[in-house]
Amino acid sequence: MQGTPRQGLGPRLPHMGKWTLLFCGCILAAAWGQMNFTGDQVLRILAKDEKQLSFLRDLEILKPQKVDFWRGPARPSLPVDMRIPFAELDDIKGYLESHGLAYTVMIKNVQVLLDAEREAMAKARRLERSASSFSYSSYHTLEEIYSWIDNFVTEHSDIVSKIHIGNSFENRSILILKFSTGGSNRPAIWIDTGIHSREWITHATGIWTARKIVSAYGKDSILTDILNTMDIFIDLVTNPDGFAFTHSMNRLWRKNKSSRPGTSCTGVDLNRNWKSGFGGNGSNSNPCSETYHGPSPQSEPEVAAIVDFITGHGNFKALISIHSYSQMLMYPYGHSMEPVSSQKELYRLAKKAVKALYKVHGINYIFGSISNTLYVASGVTVDWAYDSGIKYAFTFELRDTGRYGFLLPATQIIPTAQETWMAIRTIMQHTLNHPY
Amino acid sequence: VDSKQGCKIDLVFSTQSYNQEEGEKHLGNCSAHVFFKNEKPRPAINITCTRSIEKKKRQEDDYLLYKQLKQLKNPLKAANIPDSHGHIDPSLRPIWDLAFLGSSYVMWEKTTPFLHYNLVRLTSVKQWKTNDTIDFDYTVLLHELPTQEIIPCRIRLVWYPGKPLKVKYQCQELQTLEESSGTVEGSAESTELSNI
Repeated sequence: MQGTPRQGLGPRLPHMGKWTLLFCGCILAAAWGQMNFTGDQVLRILAKDEKQLSFLRDLEILKPQKVDFWRGPARPSLPVDMRIPFAELDDIKGYLESHGLAYTVMIKNVQVLLDAEREAMAKARRLERSASSFSYSSYHTLEEIYSWIDNFVTEHSDIVSKIHIGNSFENRSILILKFSTGGSNRPAIWIDTGIHSREWITHATGIWTARKIVSAYGKDSILTDILNTMDIFIDLVTNPDGFAFTHSMNRLWRKNKSSRPGTSCTGVDLNRNWKSGFGGNGSNSNPCSETYHGPSPQSEPEVAAIVDFITGHGNFKALISIHSYSQMLMYPYGHSMEPVSSQKELYRLAKKAVKALYKVHGINYIFGSISNTLYVASGVTVDWAYDSGIKYAFTFELRDTGRYGFLLPATQIIPTAQETWMAIRTIMQHTLNHPY
Repeated sequence: VDSKQGCKIDLVFSTQSYNQEEGEKHLGNCSAHVFFKNEKPRPAINITCTRSIEKKKRQEDDYLLYKQLKQLKNPLKAANIPDSHGHIDPSLRPIWDLAFLGSSYVMWEKTTPFLHYNLVRLTSVKQWKTNDTIDFDYTVLLHELPTQEIIPCRIRLVWYPGKPLKVKYQCQELQTLEESSGTVEGSAESTELSNI
């Protein structure tokens, strides 16, 4: 699969009109209902000067349905990559030639590449399935995770339930798990994983953690005490559109998949879209940037769903937002170097949690406020949580420190989840013992 | 930090074997002085390390790597190392190691006081058939922090044990709309790969 990242959309999914257009007259792809790119080509054009560049920009305006810029026209020295649907090839190539634009064919048939990748993935999954019905030491697709959620809830319906809190931009369900032993609107703990879709270790850790919670209840006195007084909520796939995209097209996609007029770049960094320090230096106003904050705070449905849920609930006492990588445990603020009023307590708690984590497999985490430990980041989840009155707001950056980064080997899933659990448990225990 | 002159950093660190299968054996200690002039990339580095691997062993390890690379199906073509699940085929491990080394030169040249990098993945590998040297064409993806951008680079790497590593590269910057490129030649010291 073309590994080169691009600013353009690749295949567009959102708008229903384009869906029907593409489906009609195409050979329907098999079971998955994915879009068909048979015969589509990706052309690379090197514009010699501004004039040639403007011909390309005209193309974008004249035939918006007919070209899909993977790398849009920017400067004469930079290549322009565009995917052309099979039906439009002659038309577009004619346009390029008549305007003296030299091009090369980068991808002769997009569908062939997609098929090859899908085959490889299916092969990998067949191997997994032969070992056990759900492997906690493998990475999974969105469908597999949603299917696991249903099974999990059924198997543990005494403690676990599933809540649909909203839909993503591409209309996928946003589901959270609720762990509760009773009561009504008990003080609650929030955990989210996968807000950045390429951080696959986080979803895997979340799933393992969900299973750990149910198996530890009644056995681990600390967890049992916690769950007898408080509820736990886990948002496993906080960014389902992005996650689906990391499986289908671009393993390194970070943002969601929202689109907006005026640009072929898609996606908002969901961890810059929260209403605390929004739009500050630690985010980017360029829609093509990986840290694009979006048009306004909570503009993204994936974020709005969480805000609405947590605000509506009104009794959350802790929030843990899980990312990778860097091996860090951090608390607010990200948008400012100023310490929060509870800084001392959060520092001590982080220190304790990191120590508990280290004891499991000897992995070193550093800790502190986001702005001091990692970098200034504006509009982040934990800043919003803290400002909304959730004092114990923490964010993790899981393994590793860069050697594999986002592509953390599956063999490290369980060790990572085991050690992270000890840190989460420490935070939850402290929350339980320090009601406010 | 005196921004008129630049940014100076003094470091002390210990080294361990890059090959994690060998365990976390402590190898040596280093102290380094890093200087960024005027916030520009490619900091000047003065480094001294104590070594706990003898020269003879290092040469042996290098020759072993050389042999492994020469024994690969030639001309080798591969893609996506590691795969999406973080897996690297053991037979392709030496390719990754070498690419990592080459990429480290590229990353050094691009690092500023505000930007640093990690190697994410080799998107494609092509080995050139030669009589003696190890000669690879790679495309890699670098993860840039704190911008979070993914930067594609093409790297041409030529190596022969005992000789300085030659790295030619060209990176494409999607956001700043700039290109970075260069040629780097390793010093004789740093080409002893077994020490990474």
